[in-house]
Amino acid sequence: MNPLLDDAQHGQFEFSGTGSEYFRIWIVNLALTLLTLGIYSAWAKVRRLQYFYRNTSLLGNGFDYHGDPVAILKGRLIGIGLLAAYNVAAAFSITVGIAVFVLLLIALPWLVQRSISFRLANSSYRGLRFRFNGSTADAYRVLLGWTFLSYITLGLLAPMAHQRLKAYQHNGSAYGMTAFNFTAEAGPFYSVYLKLLGLVVLPIFLFGIAAVSLNLFAGLEGAHKNPRQFGKALATLLTVMMVFYLVLFLIVGPWFSARIQNLVWNHTALERHPFSSAVRARDLLAIYVTNFIAIVLTLGLFKPFADIRLARYRLTHMALHPAGNVDEFFAREQQAVNAMGEETANIFDVDISF
Amino acid sequence: MSTSPSEPRNAETPHTLQVQAQYFDGRSARAHDVTLTLADSVLSLRGAAVQRDEDISMLRISEPMGRAPRLISFADGAHCEVRDHAGMERLLHATRFTDSWVVRLQQRWRWAAAAAGLAVAVVFTGYHWGLPAASEFIAFRLPDSVLAQLGSGALGTLDRAIFAPSKLPANRQDALRASFARLLPPEGSQARYALHFRDGGPVGANAMALPDGSIVVTDQLVALARHDEEILAVLAHELGHIDRRHGLRMLIQGSIVAFVVSWYIGDVSSVAAGVPTLLLQARYSRDHEREADRYGAVMLKANGISPRRLADMLALLEAAHRDKAQKAEEGRQKEPGKAAAERGTERGSIGDYLASHPATRERIDTLNQGH
Repeated sequence: MNPLLDDAQHGQFEFSGTGSEYFRIWIVNLALTLLTLGIYSAWAKVRRLQYFYRNTSLLGNGFDYHGDPVAILKGRLIGIGLLAAYNVAAAFSITVGIAVFVLLLIALPWLVQRSISFRLANSSYRGLRFRFNGSTADAYRVLLGWTFLSYITLGLLAPMAHQRLKAYQHNGSAYGMTAFNFTAEAGPFYSVYLKLLGLVVLPIFLFGIAAVSLNLFAGLEGAHKNPRQFGKALATLLTVMMVFYLVLFLIVGPWFSARIQNLVWNHTALERHPFSSAVRARDLLAIYVTNFIAIVLTLGLFKPFADIRLARYRLTHMALHPAGNVDEFFAREQQAVNAMGEETANIFDVDISF
Repeated sequence: MSTSPSEPRNAETPHTLQVQAQYFDGRSARAHDVTLTLADSVLSLRGAAVQRDEDISMLRISEPMGRAPRLISFADGAHCEVRDHAGMERLLHATRFTDSWVVRLQQRWRWAAAAAGLAVAVVFTGYHWGLPAASEFIAFRLPDSVLAQLGSGALGTLDRAIFAPSKLPANRQDALRASFARLLPPEGSQARYALHFRDGGPVGANAMALPDGSIVVTDQLVALARHDEEILAVLAHELGHIDRRHGLRMLIQGSIVAFVVSWYIGDVSSVAAGVPTLLLQARYSRDHEREADRYGAVMLKANGISPRRLADMLALLEAAHRDKAQKAEEGRQKEPGKAAAERGTERGSIGDYLASHPATRERIDTLNQGH
């Protein structure tokens, strides 16, 4: 029926966005957002997501985003209000600040659950909306319970918490009537985290050796006798540490991101149609590093091109493997979800990628 | 892509423009290949199992977005996905459909360039005039109780982190307090303050004003001054910071600058976002110094003291910091602890930063000219 199936029988995701197109959307979004003191940002977000969704195809058809800018704007205003309340409270007194922080922490799982719901309910493919069925109780169990457990065990349970989070997100998702399922156990997460530990610890160890052998710490001794020397040594040390941290962040970040994306999507299926992801750490590393350099050199103007490069790489290395006729999904009744959740969660920088 | 309609059974005339599309009813994911035709503002869909006619005014047509398919949405949740862009353009041309003005902005490079210029202009204006004006407006509308609350913890933090108790004799402290209390503040100034003496420790000769009205003077500064009027001049300058609510204004401006910077490049790296924020704040700090200098000069003149005293003290402080290169700030108000520590990493060391700071020379000249 669909001639594209021959070409994309195994359902490779395709992406047709280009940097030059998206740059113009991005710069107009930026100008209008600044001109309206941020009010346009809700409309900007819808345009941005629509550009990425509509340029993403699977089995010959595109995705779409339906978020209502007014709902997003309301959510953003509430988010800014909460952020301001927290900042003001923290400036007044530590006790009030902590109280507000705890309240926000308690609200967070609910906000995350709402924001996943909003995002999915406003995403569609072939005319059917996605849904999120994950319960609020599970959101608390995963986001508060497991995060707390991973903290008190000094990170020993962090891979387990990550696995639970992904299971919550993916098992709770559905396309039309059909549920997604997630089959990865904690084991593979532990394997990724152990390697991550190696990748972080080894450079720190090497840095320590280098610092000692290069006499970086020497100036710190006798600080009282020669404050100027001390200042210089401290500045050098801090600069070296900052560069080191940046390099570590740039190298380890993409590696981790690639491994997790593959792990998660290679264990996710839409009913009996499995997904696959074959992102390579070294490719992602090259994209991250060149993007970072270009963004810094262009004072941010390269950002839209960087976003497109990254999205194209990530998407085109994913596929859905249909086992049978994909046309047989039937839509479930649509359900309105308040936009507030996603926006308030966004502004607190909790971006849980689906 | 080309989807061959299974049975093109339309149509009015052979000349009618036909566009291939896929139709989804919104209840099933099944794709229906259809042919679109337009006659008298009625869009007709014809396919194997689809026959639908709708007035074009009842339909929502998506913005053109590069090679992304155009979407024609029906009120009941059904939609058409059109990948034949040329055909779609011709079809739309037959209607009176026009793209929204935002879409037209996005399509032209020169408009994109104009948007970039506009963005730069807005940021520049906001940074130079908008934000300082807004923070001043807000700061002077907050009640005194807010100020007192805001800075109440700052002195304690500084005492724990940097300062030691003053070694200045109590009668010397009281004498300085009394001399300063005798000075009349400039007209309209209602600044309330409390004067504290501390051993400056690593910051050396220094004075600072905290948002809650505390003025801290270090023993080292008292020792450095050649005349008590120089100390009073520094105190007048610090009172200017308090009267003009600089601490609160820095806090407001700083939060907004940090918010905008992290919004713009935040997801690149949180480290990269911190540096421009600090650099952008430095200008506000210099403006505040100038404002406090003016206040100090007015106050000194009103009490028969030459503003040169402040200029002399600034020169002494600069020389002291250059020679000893101690970790210190010039006689100006600072946010406690953290800001000073961060500034240290920004330019090598604070001593170097201060010495190469062009504003101090300029401030001294300004004060001397104002005799």
